[in-house]
Amino acid sequence: MGYVAARGGTEAIAAAEELVCRSRLQAGASWLELDQLTERLRYLNDRVMGEGGLWAPLLAARAIRQAEGDVIEAAHLLRAHRSTLPRLCELIPADADELRPLRRIVPAFREVPGPQLLGRTLDYTGRLLDLGDEDQARAAAAAATAAAAARHPGDDPDEYDGATEPPFPERLLDVLRRTDLAVDRRRGDDPEPTDISQVAVRPGIGRSAVLSVMARAETGALVNLWYRNILGPDNHLHEVTLGEVRHGELPIRVSHPRTGNPVLIGHLRATEVEAIEDLDGADEDRTRFDVGYGLVAGHNERKAIAMANLDIALHRDRSDSGLEQAVLMTTDGLDASGFLEHLKLPHYVTFRSMIERKQAMRTDRARNERKGRRQHTAPAVAPAAPATQPAAVAVGEVTP
Amino acid sequence: MPIREDRHTPEVLAEEELAGYLALAATEPLHALADAIIASSPGLRVLAGPTVGTARYDVREPVEAIRFGLVEVLITNAEVELEGSHGWATRLGDDRVGTLSAAICDAEVQRNGPLADSVRALCELVRTDLAEQHARRWAELLPTVVHFEELDR
Repeated sequence: MGYVAARGGTEAIAAAEELVCRSRLQAGASWLELDQLTERLRYLNDRVMGEGGLWAPLLAARAIRQAEGDVIEAAHLLRAHRSTLPRLCELIPADADELRPLRRIVPAFREVPGPQLLGRTLDYTGRLLDLGDEDQARAAAAAATAAAAARHPGDDPDEYDGATEPPFPERLLDVLRRTDLAVDRRRGDDPEPTDISQVAVRPGIGRSAVLSVMARAETGALVNLWYRNILGPDNHLHEVTLGEVRHGELPIRVSHPRTGNPVLIGHLRATEVEAIEDLDGADEDRTRFDVGYGLVAGHNERKAIAMANLDIALHRDRSDSGLEQAVLMTTDGLDASGFLEHLKLPHYVTFRSMIERKQAMRTDRARNERKGRRQHTAPAVAPAAPATQPAAVAVGEVTP
Repeated sequence: MPIREDRHTPEVLAEEELAGYLALAATEPLHALADAIIASSPGLRVLAGPTVGTARYDVREPVEAIRFGLVEVLITNAEVELEGSHGWATRLGDDRVGTLSAAICDAEVQRNGPLADSVRALCELVRTDLAEQHARRWAELLPTVVHFEELDR
Protein backbone atom coordinates (compact mmCIF):
# COMPACT_ATOMS: atom_id res chain seq x y z
CA MET A 1 0.00 0.00 0.00
CA GLY A 2 2.01 2.99 -1.21
CA TYR A 3 1.23 6.70 -0.96
CA VAL A 4 -0.43 8.29 -3.97
CA ALA A 5 -0.73 12.07 -4.08
CA ALA A 6 -4.34 13.14 -4.48
CA ARG A 7 -6.33 16.31 -4.72
CA GLY A 8 -10.00 17.07 -4.46
CA GLY A 9 -12.66 18.35 -2.14
CA THR A 10 -12.64 21.94 -3.34
CA GLU A 11 -16.19 21.72 -4.60
CA ALA A 12 -17.34 19.94 -1.46
CA ILE A 13 -15.67 22.58 0.73
CA ALA A 14 -17.35 25.37 -1.23
CA ALA A 15 -20.71 23.59 -0.96
CA ALA A 16 -20.26 23.11 2.78
CA GLU A 17 -19.49 26.80 3.24
CA GLU A 18 -22.47 27.69 1.07
CA LEU A 19 -24.65 25.45 3.24
CA VAL A 20 -23.49 27.29 6.36
CA CYS A 21 -24.10 30.71 4.81
CA ARG A 22 -27.51 29.71 3.45
CA SER A 23 -28.57 28.22 6.78
CA ARG A 24 -27.49 31.40 8.53
CA LEU A 25 -29.64 33.48 6.22
CA GLN A 26 -32.59 31.09 6.16
CA ALA A 27 -32.68 30.27 9.82
CA GLY A 28 -36.45 30.43 10.04
CA ALA A 29 -36.16 33.39 12.39
CA SER A 30 -35.91 37.13 12.00
CA TRP A 31 -32.50 38.62 11.17
CA LEU A 32 -30.25 38.95 14.19
CA GLU A 33 -29.40 42.62 14.59
CA LEU A 34 -26.06 43.61 16.06
CA ASP A 35 -27.65 45.61 18.88
CA GLN A 36 -29.45 42.44 20.01
CA LEU A 37 -26.02 40.99 20.69
CA THR A 38 -24.33 44.08 22.15
CA GLU A 39 -27.25 45.02 24.41
CA ARG A 40 -28.94 41.71 25.26
CA LEU A 41 -26.02 39.27 25.25
CA ARG A 42 -23.45 41.55 26.82
CA TYR A 43 -21.48 38.83 28.63
CA LEU A 44 -21.05 36.95 25.38
CA ASN A 45 -19.97 40.05 23.48
CA ASP A 46 -17.57 41.07 26.26
CA ARG A 47 -16.04 37.61 26.39
CA VAL A 48 -15.37 37.56 22.65
CA MET A 49 -13.69 40.98 22.84
CA GLY A 50 -11.59 39.95 25.83
CA GLU A 51 -10.44 36.67 24.31
CA GLY A 52 -10.11 38.17 20.85
CA GLY A 53 -7.92 40.93 22.31
CA LEU A 54 -9.79 43.74 20.56
CA TRP A 55 -12.26 46.21 22.06
CA ALA A 56 -14.74 46.64 19.20
CA PRO A 57 -18.32 45.88 20.32
CA LEU A 58 -19.92 45.94 16.88
CA LEU A 59 -17.20 43.81 15.28
CA ALA A 60 -17.49 41.31 18.14
CA ALA A 61 -21.25 41.13 17.55
CA ARG A 62 -20.64 40.50 13.85
CA ALA A 63 -18.17 37.75 14.73
CA ILE A 64 -20.65 36.06 17.09
CA ARG A 65 -23.37 36.18 14.46
CA GLN A 66 -21.04 34.83 11.78
CA ALA A 67 -19.82 32.08 14.11
CA GLU A 68 -23.42 31.19 15.00
CA GLY A 69 -22.66 31.65 18.69
CA ASP A 70 -19.41 29.66 18.80
CA VAL A 71 -17.41 31.78 21.27
CA ILE A 72 -13.95 30.50 20.37
CA GLU A 73 -14.68 30.81 16.67
CA ALA A 74 -15.93 34.36 17.17
CA ALA A 75 -12.80 35.29 19.16
CA HIS A 76 -10.73 33.71 16.38
CA LEU A 77 -12.51 35.80 13.73
CA LEU A 78 -11.97 38.96 15.75
CA ARG A 79 -8.29 38.27 16.40
CA ALA A 80 -7.71 37.33 12.77
CA HIS A 81 -9.38 40.56 11.66
CA ARG A 82 -7.27 42.54 14.10
CA SER A 83 -4.13 41.11 12.53
CA THR A 84 -5.12 42.68 9.20
CA LEU A 85 -5.40 46.18 10.64
CA PRO A 86 -2.62 48.73 11.01
CA ARG A 87 -1.70 49.84 14.47
CA LEU A 88 -2.35 53.56 14.35
CA CYS A 89 -1.04 54.71 17.71
CA GLU A 90 -0.60 53.91 21.37
CA LEU A 91 -3.31 55.19 23.64
CA ILE A 92 -2.40 57.04 26.80
CA PRO A 93 -2.07 54.40 29.53
CA ALA A 94 -4.88 54.39 32.04
CA ASP A 95 -4.43 53.94 35.76
CA ALA A 96 -6.55 51.22 37.34
CA ASP A 97 -7.62 53.80 39.93
CA GLU A 98 -9.45 55.64 37.14
CA LEU A 99 -12.01 52.84 36.80
CA ARG A 100 -15.44 54.38 37.38
CA PRO A 101 -17.38 51.60 39.11
CA LEU A 102 -20.71 50.28 37.92
CA ARG A 103 -20.36 47.56 40.51
CA ARG A 104 -17.99 47.30 43.46
CA ILE A 105 -17.99 44.78 46.26
CA VAL A 106 -15.32 44.03 48.86
CA PRO A 107 -15.87 40.48 50.14
CA ALA A 108 -12.97 40.79 52.61
CA PHE A 109 -14.15 43.78 54.58
CA ARG A 110 -17.51 45.32 55.39
CA GLU A 111 -16.56 48.89 56.25
CA VAL A 112 -14.37 50.06 53.42
CA PRO A 113 -13.98 53.55 52.02
CA GLY A 114 -16.83 54.02 49.54
CA PRO A 115 -19.92 51.96 48.97
CA GLN A 116 -20.51 48.25 48.61
CA LEU A 117 -22.27 48.74 45.30
CA LEU A 118 -23.91 45.57 44.03
CA GLY A 119 -24.77 47.03 40.65
CA ARG A 120 -26.29 44.74 38.05
CA THR A 121 -25.96 41.25 39.48
CA LEU A 122 -27.84 38.05 40.25
CA ASP A 123 -25.13 36.82 42.63
CA TYR A 124 -27.52 36.70 45.58
CA THR A 125 -30.59 35.43 43.74
CA GLY A 126 -31.75 31.86 43.22
CA ARG A 127 -31.12 30.41 39.79
CA LEU A 128 -34.62 29.79 38.52
CA LEU A 129 -35.30 29.42 34.83
CA ASP A 130 -37.80 32.06 33.74
CA LEU A 131 -40.69 30.17 32.16
CA GLY A 132 -42.92 33.23 31.92
CA ASP A 133 -45.18 33.99 29.00
CA GLU A 134 -43.28 35.41 26.00
CA ASP A 135 -45.94 37.97 25.07
CA GLN A 136 -46.03 39.28 28.62
CA ALA A 137 -42.25 39.53 28.62
CA ARG A 138 -42.31 41.56 25.40
CA ALA A 139 -44.95 43.89 26.85
CA ALA A 140 -42.92 44.29 30.03
CA ALA A 141 -39.78 45.08 28.01
CA ALA A 142 -41.63 47.76 26.04
CA ALA A 143 -43.05 49.28 29.22
CA ALA A 144 -39.62 49.32 30.90
CA THR A 145 -38.07 51.01 27.88
CA ALA A 146 -40.77 53.69 27.87
CA ALA A 147 -40.41 54.27 31.62
CA ALA A 148 -36.64 54.63 31.31
CA ALA A 149 -37.02 57.18 28.53
CA ALA A 150 -39.45 59.22 30.65
CA ARG A 151 -37.25 59.18 33.74
CA HIS A 152 -35.15 62.27 34.40
CA PRO A 153 -32.00 62.68 36.44
CA GLY A 154 -32.97 63.80 39.90
CA ASP A 155 -36.25 61.86 39.93
CA ASP A 156 -34.66 59.54 42.41
CA PRO A 157 -33.93 61.41 45.64
CA ASP A 158 -31.32 58.91 46.83
CA GLU A 159 -27.71 59.91 46.97
CA TYR A 160 -24.51 58.52 48.34
CA ASP A 161 -22.52 61.13 50.23
CA GLY A 162 -24.08 63.77 47.99
CA ALA A 163 -22.49 62.28 44.88
CA THR A 164 -24.31 62.65 41.59
CA GLU A 165 -22.28 59.94 39.93
CA PRO A 166 -20.34 56.88 41.06
CA PRO A 167 -17.36 57.78 43.25
CA PHE A 168 -13.82 56.47 42.83
CA PRO A 169 -13.47 54.64 46.16
CA GLU A 170 -10.06 53.96 47.65
CA ARG A 171 -9.06 50.38 46.94
CA LEU A 172 -8.65 47.87 49.77
CA LEU A 173 -4.99 47.33 48.85
CA ASP A 174 -4.31 51.00 49.64
CA VAL A 175 -6.14 50.64 52.95
CA LEU A 176 -3.97 47.63 53.82
CA ARG A 177 -0.83 49.52 52.83
CA ARG A 178 -1.88 52.52 54.89
CA THR A 179 -2.28 50.28 57.93
CA ASP A 180 1.00 48.49 57.16
CA LEU A 181 -0.77 45.19 56.60
CA ALA A 182 0.29 44.61 52.99
CA VAL A 183 3.66 43.94 51.44
CA ASP A 184 4.52 46.95 49.29
CA ARG A 185 5.79 45.69 45.94
CA ARG A 186 5.46 48.97 44.04
CA ARG A 187 8.40 49.53 41.74
CA GLY A 188 10.18 52.82 41.34
CA ASP A 189 10.97 52.28 37.67
CA ASP A 190 8.47 52.16 34.85
CA PRO A 191 9.42 49.25 32.60
CA GLU A 192 8.04 49.20 29.08
CA PRO A 193 5.31 46.54 28.96
CA THR A 194 5.76 43.52 26.73
CA ASP A 195 3.50 43.49 23.70
CA ILE A 196 2.33 39.88 23.45
CA SER A 197 0.94 40.44 19.97
CA GLN A 198 4.53 41.09 18.79
CA VAL A 199 6.62 38.83 21.03
CA ALA A 200 6.38 35.07 21.59
CA VAL A 201 5.76 34.43 25.26
CA ARG A 202 7.99 31.97 27.11
CA PRO A 203 8.52 31.33 30.83
CA GLY A 204 10.59 34.06 32.43
CA ILE A 205 9.20 36.76 30.14
CA GLY A 206 8.08 39.02 32.98
CA ARG A 207 4.91 39.93 34.81
CA SER A 208 3.51 42.45 32.32
CA ALA A 209 3.40 39.74 29.64
CA VAL A 210 1.90 37.22 32.04
CA LEU A 211 -0.86 39.66 32.98
CA SER A 212 -1.53 40.34 29.28
CA VAL A 213 -1.68 36.62 28.51
CA MET A 214 -4.19 36.06 31.30
CA ALA A 215 -6.25 39.09 30.24
CA ARG A 216 -6.55 37.52 26.77
CA ALA A 217 -6.87 33.91 27.97
CA GLU A 218 -9.88 31.71 27.37
CA THR A 219 -12.18 32.05 30.38
CA GLY A 220 -12.74 28.34 30.89
CA ALA A 221 -9.03 27.58 30.63
CA LEU A 222 -8.14 30.13 33.31
CA VAL A 223 -10.94 29.01 35.63
CA ASN A 224 -9.94 25.38 35.12
CA LEU A 225 -6.29 26.12 35.86
CA TRP A 226 -7.33 27.88 39.06
CA TYR A 227 -9.55 24.94 40.02
CA ARG A 228 -6.82 22.37 39.33
CA ASN A 229 -4.60 24.30 41.70
CA ILE A 230 -7.19 24.67 44.45
CA LEU A 231 -8.81 21.22 44.45
CA GLY A 232 -6.97 19.28 41.79
CA PRO A 233 -3.55 17.71 41.55
CA ASP A 234 -1.49 20.87 40.96
CA ASN A 235 -2.02 22.38 44.40
CA HIS A 236 -0.15 25.66 43.99
CA LEU A 237 -2.96 27.86 45.28
CA HIS A 238 -4.51 28.66 48.61
CA GLU A 239 -8.10 29.70 48.87
CA VAL A 240 -7.58 33.45 49.05
CA THR A 241 -9.89 36.23 50.20
CA LEU A 242 -11.05 38.68 47.57
CA GLY A 243 -10.45 42.36 48.18
CA GLU A 244 -11.91 44.47 45.42
CA VAL A 245 -14.28 43.06 42.81
CA ARG A 246 -15.17 45.87 40.44
CA HIS A 247 -16.79 46.28 37.07
CA GLY A 248 -16.66 49.73 35.59
CA GLU A 249 -15.43 52.08 32.90
CA LEU A 250 -11.87 53.06 32.08
CA PRO A 251 -11.10 56.16 30.02
CA ILE A 252 -9.69 55.86 26.51
CA ARG A 253 -7.42 58.81 25.69
CA VAL A 254 -5.17 59.81 22.83
CA SER A 255 -2.63 62.61 22.60
CA HIS A 256 -3.82 65.66 20.73
CA PRO A 257 -1.52 66.13 17.71
CA ARG A 258 -1.39 69.92 18.06
CA THR A 259 -1.13 70.34 21.84
CA GLY A 260 0.17 66.97 23.01
CA ASN A 261 -2.46 66.96 25.76
CA PRO A 262 -4.79 64.01 26.43
CA VAL A 263 -8.13 63.82 24.65
CA LEU A 264 -10.84 61.59 26.08
CA ILE A 265 -12.43 59.75 23.14
CA GLY A 266 -14.53 57.20 25.04
CA HIS A 267 -14.50 54.42 27.58
CA LEU A 268 -14.17 50.68 27.72
CA ARG A 269 -15.57 48.48 30.43
CA ALA A 270 -13.34 46.22 32.48
CA THR A 271 -13.51 43.89 35.48
CA GLU A 272 -10.94 44.22 38.24
CA VAL A 273 -10.15 41.91 41.17
CA GLU A 274 -7.71 41.98 44.08
CA ALA A 275 -6.90 38.60 45.67
CA ILE A 276 -5.50 38.89 49.19
CA GLU A 277 -3.05 36.17 50.12
CA ASP A 278 -2.29 35.23 53.71
CA LEU A 279 1.50 34.81 53.57
CA ASP A 280 2.66 31.75 55.49
CA GLY A 281 5.92 30.70 53.89
CA ALA A 282 9.10 30.35 55.91
CA ASP A 283 10.83 33.04 53.86
CA GLU A 284 7.79 35.35 53.69
CA ASP A 285 6.69 38.25 55.87
CA ARG A 286 3.96 36.49 57.84
CA THR A 287 2.87 39.72 59.53
CA ARG A 288 1.56 41.06 56.23
CA PHE A 289 -0.69 40.10 53.34
CA ASP A 290 0.22 40.11 49.68
CA VAL A 291 -2.11 40.78 46.78
CA GLY A 292 -2.66 39.32 43.33
CA TYR A 293 -4.27 41.34 40.58
CA GLY A 294 -6.73 40.60 37.81
CA LEU A 295 -8.05 42.94 35.15
CA VAL A 296 -9.89 41.83 32.03
CA ALA A 297 -11.73 43.67 29.28
CA GLY A 298 -15.51 43.66 29.62
CA HIS A 299 -17.63 42.18 32.39
CA ASN A 300 -16.17 38.77 33.26
CA GLU A 301 -15.80 38.31 37.00
CA ARG A 302 -14.93 34.60 36.89
CA LYS A 303 -11.96 35.25 34.66
CA ALA A 304 -10.73 38.26 36.65
CA ILE A 305 -10.95 36.29 39.92
CA ALA A 306 -9.01 33.37 38.45
CA MET A 307 -6.43 35.80 37.04
CA ALA A 308 -5.89 37.55 40.39
CA ASN A 309 -5.51 34.21 42.18
CA LEU A 310 -3.03 32.93 39.60
CA ASP A 311 -1.09 36.22 39.69
CA ILE A 312 -0.33 35.92 43.40
CA ALA A 313 0.32 32.17 43.04
CA LEU A 314 2.87 32.88 40.30
CA HIS A 315 4.57 35.51 42.44
CA ARG A 316 4.92 33.13 45.36
CA ASP A 317 5.86 30.20 43.13
CA ARG A 318 8.86 32.01 41.60
CA SER A 319 8.59 29.85 38.47
CA ASP A 320 9.61 26.73 40.35
CA SER A 321 6.66 24.48 39.60
CA GLY A 322 5.68 24.86 35.97
CA LEU A 323 2.66 26.97 36.87
CA GLU A 324 4.01 29.87 34.81
CA GLN A 325 4.47 27.57 31.85
CA ALA A 326 0.89 26.34 32.26
CA VAL A 327 -0.43 29.91 32.33
CA LEU A 328 1.63 31.11 29.39
CA MET A 329 1.42 28.06 27.14
CA THR A 330 -1.98 26.47 27.75
CA THR A 331 -4.61 29.14 28.46
CA ASP A 332 -4.94 30.81 25.07
CA GLY A 333 -8.24 29.71 23.55
CA LEU A 334 -7.11 30.02 19.97
CA ASP A 335 -3.90 28.09 20.55
CA ALA A 336 -5.66 25.25 22.35
CA SER A 337 -8.66 25.04 20.04
CA GLY A 338 -6.53 25.39 16.95
CA PHE A 339 -4.36 22.48 17.98
CA LEU A 340 -7.41 20.43 18.95
CA GLU A 341 -9.34 21.17 15.80
CA HIS A 342 -6.48 20.45 13.44
CA LEU A 343 -7.21 16.81 14.30
CA LYS A 344 -10.26 17.11 12.04
CA LEU A 345 -8.12 17.81 9.00
CA PRO A 346 -7.14 14.90 6.71
CA HIS A 347 -4.40 12.81 8.27
CA TYR A 348 -4.46 10.23 5.47
CA VAL A 349 -0.70 10.05 5.01
CA THR A 350 0.04 10.01 8.73
CA PHE A 351 -2.46 7.27 9.37
CA ARG A 352 -1.39 5.25 6.35
CA SER A 353 2.20 5.32 7.54
CA MET A 354 0.99 4.14 10.96
CA ILE A 355 -0.86 1.25 9.33
CA GLU A 356 2.21 0.37 7.29
CA ARG A 357 4.38 0.38 10.40
CA LYS A 358 1.97 -1.97 12.11
CA GLN A 359 1.87 -4.24 9.04
CA ALA A 360 5.66 -4.19 8.87
CA MET A 361 5.88 -5.11 12.55
CA ARG A 362 3.42 -7.92 11.99
CA THR A 363 5.41 -9.20 9.00
CA ASP A 364 8.60 -8.97 11.01
CA ARG A 365 7.07 -10.82 13.92
CA ALA A 366 5.76 -13.57 11.63
CA ARG A 367 9.20 -13.88 10.06
CA ASN A 368 10.79 -14.14 13.50
CA GLU A 369 8.25 -16.74 14.55
CA ARG A 370 8.96 -18.82 11.45
CA LYS A 371 12.64 -18.44 12.09
CA GLY A 372 12.13 -19.43 15.71
CA ARG A 373 10.18 -22.49 14.72
CA ARG A 374 12.94 -23.53 12.37
CA GLN A 375 15.50 -23.02 15.08
CA HIS A 376 13.35 -24.92 17.62
CA THR A 377 13.01 -27.89 15.38
CA ALA A 378 16.62 -27.64 14.20
CA PRO A 379 18.40 -29.99 16.71
CA ALA A 380 17.29 -33.05 14.79
CA VAL A 381 18.89 -31.60 11.71
CA ALA A 382 21.55 -29.20 13.06
CA PRO A 383 22.57 -29.70 16.74
CA ALA A 384 24.65 -26.49 16.94
CA ALA A 385 21.63 -24.04 16.59
CA PRO A 386 20.07 -23.80 20.16
CA ALA A 387 22.66 -21.29 21.38
CA THR A 388 21.21 -18.61 19.03
CA GLN A 389 17.47 -19.18 19.67
CA PRO A 390 15.46 -16.11 20.71
CA ALA A 391 14.67 -16.30 24.42
CA ALA A 392 11.05 -15.39 23.80
CA VAL A 393 10.26 -18.48 21.82
CA ALA A 394 8.89 -21.10 24.16
CA VAL A 395 8.42 -24.73 23.34
CA GLY A 396 4.67 -24.45 23.90
CA GLU A 397 4.27 -21.72 21.23
CA VAL A 398 5.58 -23.95 18.52
CA THR A 399 2.81 -25.05 16.24
CA PRO A 400 2.99 -28.30 14.32
CA MET B 1 -6.75 66.81 30.49
CA PRO B 2 -10.00 64.83 30.56
CA ILE B 3 -13.28 66.39 29.51
CA ARG B 4 -14.65 68.58 32.22
CA GLU B 5 -18.26 68.08 33.06
CA ASP B 6 -18.70 71.28 35.04
CA ARG B 7 -20.47 74.23 33.47
CA HIS B 8 -18.66 76.27 30.89
CA THR B 9 -19.60 78.26 27.85
CA PRO B 10 -19.00 76.77 24.40
CA GLU B 11 -16.65 79.64 23.52
CA VAL B 12 -13.99 78.51 25.98
CA LEU B 13 -13.69 74.93 24.73
CA ALA B 14 -10.06 73.90 24.84
CA GLU B 15 -8.77 72.07 21.77
CA GLU B 16 -8.74 68.79 23.67
CA GLU B 17 -12.31 69.25 24.89
CA LEU B 18 -13.47 70.06 21.37
CA ALA B 19 -11.77 66.95 19.99
CA GLY B 20 -13.19 64.88 22.86
CA TYR B 21 -16.77 65.98 22.32
CA LEU B 22 -16.42 65.46 18.57
CA ALA B 23 -15.16 61.95 19.33
CA LEU B 24 -18.22 61.23 21.46
CA ALA B 25 -20.90 62.86 19.28
CA ALA B 26 -23.31 60.68 17.30
CA THR B 27 -22.36 60.16 13.66
CA GLU B 28 -25.53 61.57 12.07
CA PRO B 29 -25.43 65.17 13.40
CA LEU B 30 -21.68 65.32 12.77
CA HIS B 31 -22.19 64.18 9.20
CA ALA B 32 -24.92 66.77 8.60
CA LEU B 33 -22.76 69.52 10.06
CA ALA B 34 -19.72 68.49 8.01
CA ASP B 35 -21.82 68.47 4.83
CA ALA B 36 -22.97 72.01 5.58
CA ILE B 37 -19.38 73.13 6.25
CA ILE B 38 -18.14 71.66 2.97
CA ALA B 39 -21.00 73.28 1.09
CA SER B 40 -19.97 76.71 2.38
CA SER B 41 -16.18 76.16 2.18
CA PRO B 42 -14.96 74.33 -0.92
CA GLY B 43 -11.28 74.40 0.06
CA LEU B 44 -11.18 71.00 1.76
CA ARG B 45 -8.17 68.71 1.50
CA VAL B 46 -8.07 65.31 3.15
CA LEU B 47 -4.55 64.93 4.52
CA ALA B 48 -4.88 61.45 6.00
CA GLY B 49 -7.47 58.74 6.25
CA PRO B 50 -10.00 58.10 7.39
CA THR B 51 -7.99 55.06 8.47
CA VAL B 52 -9.37 52.23 10.56
CA GLY B 53 -6.84 50.51 12.79
CA THR B 54 -5.98 49.51 16.31
CA ALA B 55 -4.32 51.18 19.26
CA ARG B 56 -2.66 49.48 22.21
CA TYR B 57 -4.36 50.06 25.54
CA ASP B 58 -2.09 49.71 28.56
CA VAL B 59 -3.19 49.94 32.17
CA ARG B 60 -1.05 50.65 35.21
CA GLU B 61 -1.92 48.04 37.81
CA PRO B 62 -1.76 48.78 41.54
CA VAL B 63 0.36 45.92 42.95
CA GLU B 64 3.76 46.67 41.37
CA ALA B 65 2.61 49.89 39.65
CA ILE B 66 3.69 48.51 36.27
CA ARG B 67 1.88 48.87 32.96
CA PHE B 68 0.56 45.90 30.99
CA GLY B 69 -1.37 45.54 27.76
CA LEU B 70 -5.03 44.91 28.54
CA VAL B 71 -6.45 44.88 25.03
CA GLU B 72 -6.26 46.69 21.71
CA VAL B 73 -8.93 49.18 20.75
CA LEU B 74 -10.46 49.70 17.32
CA ILE B 75 -10.22 53.35 16.29
CA THR B 76 -10.53 55.52 13.19
CA ASN B 77 -8.25 58.51 12.45
CA ALA B 78 -8.58 61.37 9.97
CA GLU B 79 -6.83 64.67 9.26
CA VAL B 80 -8.02 67.42 6.94
CA GLU B 81 -7.12 70.92 5.91
CA LEU B 82 -9.97 73.37 5.45
CA GLU B 83 -9.14 76.74 3.93
CA GLY B 84 -5.63 76.38 5.38
CA SER B 85 -6.74 75.28 8.87
CA HIS B 86 -5.84 71.89 10.23
CA GLY B 87 -8.55 69.52 11.46
CA TRP B 88 -8.03 66.23 13.27
CA ALA B 89 -10.22 63.52 14.77
CA THR B 90 -9.98 60.10 16.34
CA ARG B 91 -13.12 58.13 17.15
CA LEU B 92 -13.76 54.67 18.56
CA GLY B 93 -14.73 51.83 16.24
CA ASP B 94 -14.86 51.60 12.47
CA ASP B 95 -16.49 54.96 11.80
CA ARG B 96 -15.02 56.55 8.69
CA VAL B 97 -17.89 58.93 8.01
CA GLY B 98 -18.09 60.11 11.62
CA THR B 99 -14.33 60.57 11.93
CA LEU B 100 -13.90 62.50 8.68
CA SER B 101 -16.90 64.63 9.66
CA ALA B 102 -15.38 65.30 13.10
CA ALA B 103 -12.06 66.35 11.54
CA ILE B 104 -13.91 68.78 9.25
CA CYS B 105 -15.82 70.20 12.25
CA ASP B 106 -12.52 70.57 14.15
CA ALA B 107 -11.00 72.50 11.24
CA GLU B 108 -14.08 74.73 11.05
CA VAL B 109 -13.59 75.74 14.69
CA GLN B 110 -9.84 76.23 14.21
CA ARG B 111 -10.43 78.72 11.41
CA ASN B 112 -13.44 80.21 13.24
CA GLY B 113 -15.54 79.60 10.15
CA PRO B 114 -19.21 80.51 9.70
CA LEU B 115 -20.41 77.22 11.22
CA ALA B 116 -17.96 77.19 14.14
CA ASP B 117 -20.71 78.16 16.57
CA SER B 118 -22.85 75.28 15.32
CA VAL B 119 -19.97 72.91 16.04
CA ARG B 120 -19.58 74.38 19.53
CA ALA B 121 -23.33 74.03 20.09
CA LEU B 122 -23.14 70.36 19.10
CA CYS B 123 -20.32 69.91 21.61
CA GLU B 124 -22.42 71.54 24.31
CA LEU B 125 -25.25 69.15 23.48
CA VAL B 126 -22.88 66.19 23.79
CA ARG B 127 -21.68 67.52 27.15
CA THR B 128 -25.18 67.84 28.59
CA ASP B 129 -26.23 64.45 27.18
CA LEU B 130 -23.24 62.80 28.82
CA ALA B 131 -23.92 64.47 32.14
CA GLU B 132 -27.56 63.31 32.00
CA GLN B 133 -26.54 59.77 31.10
CA HIS B 134 -24.13 59.63 34.03
CA ALA B 135 -26.72 61.02 36.43
CA ARG B 136 -29.40 58.61 35.17
CA ARG B 137 -27.11 55.64 35.50
CA TRP B 138 -26.05 56.63 39.00
CA ALA B 139 -29.71 56.96 39.96
CA GLU B 140 -30.22 53.38 38.77
CA LEU B 141 -27.19 52.13 40.68
CA LEU B 142 -27.84 53.91 43.98
CA PRO B 143 -30.54 51.53 45.24
CA THR B 144 -28.00 48.70 44.96
CA VAL B 145 -25.71 50.23 47.61
CA VAL B 146 -25.71 47.92 50.63
CA HIS B 147 -26.71 49.49 53.95
CA PHE B 148 -25.66 47.16 56.75
CA GLU B 149 -27.64 46.87 59.94
CA GLU B 150 -25.83 45.66 63.04
CA LEU B 151 -27.73 42.97 64.86
CA ASP B 152 -28.12 42.93 68.64
CA ARG B 153 -25.79 40.54 70.37
